[in-house]
Amino acid sequence: MIRFIDVHKAFGPKRVLDGVSIDVARGEVLFIIGKSGAGKSVLVKHLLGLLAPDAGQILFEGQDVAGFSERDFFPLRKRCTMVLQHSTLFDSMTLLENVALPLRKHQGLSHAASLEAARSKLQLVHMERYADRRPADIGDGLRKRVAIARALTMEPEYVVFDEPTTGLDPISARHVDRLIRRLADETSVTSIVVSHDLASIFGVADRVVMLYQGRVLLDGPPQAFRDSADPVVRQFVNGLPDGPMDI
Amino acid sequence: MRALLDLLGHAIRDARFALTVGGRTVYYLARAPLDRAAVWRQAFEVGNRSVLFVLLTLGFLGAIMNLQTGFQALRLFGDASLVGAQTMPLVLRLFGPTVTGLMVATRVGTGIAAEVGSMVVTEQVDALRMSGAPPVDYLVKPRFVACILMLPALAVLGVTASFVAGMAVSYGAFQVNPATYANFDLVRTGDVFEGLLKALTYGAVIPIIAGAAGLSARGGSEGVGQATTRAVVNASLAVIVLDFVIGGAAFVLRT
Ligand SMILES: Nc1ncnc2c1ncn2[C@@H]1O[C@H](COP(=O)(O)OP(=O)(O)OP(=O)(O)O)[C@@H](O)[C@H]1O
Ligand SMILES: [Mg+2]
Repeated sequence: MIRFIDVHKAFGPKRVLDGVSIDVARGEVLFIIGKSGAGKSVLVKHLLGLLAPDAGQILFEGQDVAGFSERDFFPLRKRCTMVLQHSTLFDSMTLLENVALPLRKHQGLSHAASLEAARSKLQLVHMERYADRRPADIGDGLRKRVAIARALTMEPEYVVFDEPTTGLDPISARHVDRLIRRLADETSVTSIVVSHDLASIFGVADRVVMLYQGRVLLDGPPQAFRDSADPVVRQFVNGLPDGPMDI
Repeated sequence: MRALLDLLGHAIRDARFALTVGGRTVYYLARAPLDRAAVWRQAFEVGNRSVLFVLLTLGFLGAIMNLQTGFQALRLFGDASLVGAQTMPLVLRLFGPTVTGLMVATRVGTGIAAEVGSMVVTEQVDALRMSGAPPVDYLVKPRFVACILMLPALAVLGVTASFVAGMAVSYGAFQVNPATYANFDLVRTGDVFEGLLKALTYGAVIPIIAGAAGLSARGGSEGVGQATTRAVVNASLAVIVLDFVIGGAAFVLRT
């Protein structure tokens, strides 16, 4: 169970999170949506210690990680991994080595053993053919798939996906959706998915949280999101250029 | 005045962060296994980037120094045969290690800051942290060890280049016989130690300062550019200041 409680975060004068509270249940697939710059990436980075909150608590299985040191986060990052928004593969390594790195560092596997295990993770995202290429040699969509494989190498209990389907072709995007759903249904992996992809939201989300002006505007099942009467939510669901939402 | 205070503030902040990075590097050196392959790769990179520059700069410096010292000696005593003996201690103690340090600060320091900085701004450093690889352990430590190994070696090469160039110039300009030129009477063991100590110290300090500059890069490619500039400025300053400190300490010890 993960709980964000009244989380505040500002960068200089810019208030990005202004009291965000969200509960994520075990085995749930939670989608976080909101317009660009709403603070979705900022919010999820707090869970893994990539950013520290100005105020508020972030409970990971009852433990407040807001006061964690960098070292405290290392065991947590074995159990909860993240696919960063821009994939961020290491460009000095092959794709296979990218996926293997967490196994070597977190689990202390040997180089050879980690590569072996990484290969099977690449298969999960249909990327085994590209194992020996480097990130610079493949496109954005493929890189994202490798980043997903890297996040899954540790067989985590929680995974944060920051826009996992952005930049993917529709077929690959639905593959990723199915993967997320299966992780939840078959191995009760909890997923927090940041996404704009309406097909994903209505395809696999158990619950949807919409961030707006630093707060939670809506929190409910996809149905509630679709049927909301709130004009800002309506504008977002329907993708209208004009409306009350401040851009 | 205001700009000066700003500058001072920046310098203090950079120095404190570099100290933190240095502390972490030593910590990981003691606590985490060393990736030897990464150290060799970096050592090769350091050598590759700077050996030509070190040889050229110190070669020319050796030539210039012997030319000037020789002229002076000719004017004062009418005899330039002792140029080699006169310049040697200075090359060993001062020019060899310090010019090498400055060259490495420029060539290698910028490289480190640019590499690490671009990994920061593209969030690859965050990905490292997620992968269980602390950035200082993974990025700074191998470069630290590589520079400590390579700087003394480069300094020895540089001193040799200076020696050889000085010998050639002394022969060409003043007809000093190479055998006469190779006169080590004025060199003391302390000079050699001082030179090596300086080289080792620069080797330790340059990658830490450059790594710290890279790790504190913010924003896009502009941030990387600024980090790179900061790395050369800070690392070169550190080399000069440390030269003074070590040279001063050696002087006090000698007297
Ligand atoms: N490290 C940082 N330093 C300063 N400002 C930041 C930093 N990270 C994010 N911001 C700012 O915080 C705001 C929210 O950014 P965030 O990346 O969370 O948006 P997002 O909701 O993920 O948008 P997108 O859909 O474009 O990814 C942005 O205005 C961004 O400029
Ligand atoms: Mg984002």
